Amino acid sequence: MSEEQNVYAGVYRMLVAGMIVSNILFGIGLILALRRPQYFPLSARWVRAQYHPSIVWHGLLHGEPNSFFLIGTLLLILTPIARVIVSIYAFWVDRDHKYVVVTGAVFIVIVVTIILGLLGIR
Amino acid sequence: MTYSLNFALLLLAAASVAGFFGALLGVGGGIFIVPAMVLLFHLPMKIAVAASIVSVIATSNAGGSSYVDQRITNLRLAMFLELFTTTGALVGAILAIYLHDWVISFIFAVMLGYMAYASFSTRNLDDERIAKGLFAKARPDKISRYLALQGSYHDLAADKEVDYVVCGAKAGMSVASLAGLASGLLGVGGGVLKVSGMNKYMNVPMKVAVGTSKLMIGVTAAVSSILFFIAGLIHFMVVAPVAVGTTIGASIGTLVMNRLHSTVLKWIFSALMAYLAYEMLAQALAKGFGIHLPSAA
Repeated sequence: MSEEQNVYAGVYRMLVAGMIVSNILFGIGLILALRRPQYFPLSARWVRAQYHPSIVWHGLLHGEPNSFFLIGTLLLILTPIARVIVSIYAFWVDRDHKYVVVTGAVFIVIVVTIILGLLGIR
Repeated sequence: MTYSLNFALLLLAAASVAGFFGALLGVGGGIFIVPAMVLLFHLPMKIAVAASIVSVIATSNAGGSSYVDQRITNLRLAMFLELFTTTGALVGAILAIYLHDWVISFIFAVMLGYMAYASFSTRNLDDERIAKGLFAKARPDKISRYLALQGSYHDLAADKEVDYVVCGAKAGMSVASLAGLASGLLGVGGGVLKVSGMNKYMNVPMKVAVGTSKLMIGVTAAVSSILFFIAGLIHFMVVAPVAVGTTIGASIGTLVMNRLHSTVLKWIFSALMAYLAYEMLAQALAKGFGIHLPSAA
């Protein structure tokens, strides 16, 4: 496989996989949610209360739609980020150092975003 | 709010229609789904923006991968411009979290108004440029040359390999930053800005610009999604029907036709966007200043 194709193939596989898996999780969650219609508040506090790993794990085991939605959302957000990481690696393998730097900088923006989010947003 | 069958299925249906229209117009679903959530479902603007941006990732993955697969996307150009779209998205998302709902609605209305105007005023001169081989003749600037941004792709319509030289890197950087900002703040992909910017200022053929933009939209939307997720604005109950709906709608839309040709349809979409712009403006004025314009929503 040529150098350029190496990057293309990796990127392509990442995107398709992420999209399929997250949509399946959303689909399962929707079916579960529709079997038992329930009240939910439209508040950020309620959403954030779902973030605890034990709640998510318990929810996955007991068919709580929220847990499936949460994992699906996280996966969807992570797919393009994983694509960036795969690209850094592929450019590195292809010895394209300029682009390891460019793509690495994009990754740094992502890391800065996470840090800012965790530090500053309530 | 009760999570009833009605609410979920109607939201899913609305998102499908939005995704379908978006794909027909080549603009992604965000521009229709955000007003639908706010005007029809009466959801808060921030929750609508956050749900929309997550669905934007889904459609970007779907559309982006097919362009990558056909080798139309310019990966180097995407990686370079992403640096600016993601930075813009970071700033946009911070603004979205702290600004009042009505301010975001107001800016959204302005963007819709611009889109209504731009969707029929822009002309695609690519066929002529390809036939004359103009894309290969530009002079690259320093940055484009250093980063080897030029490329080539196989154009099916013209049935030939089209080589292109990239120039205007600085203009591209500004457009990308602005598109990222709009994406983070308004929950849209910002593809229209990037595509026309790349085509106009950077000498990138339309199809390459579309594919490259789609790929960039994913990571750009991911950056603002991270902040919205941490802030608790991505409401799962809303996100799931919207993401699934837009994905389904956009896939069907892409299958039906790749680009909109009919002038009549273009006028209809323009009128629809102008109408949505008016309704969003009416809502912003009502919430911000208590001024009530006549409105159906």
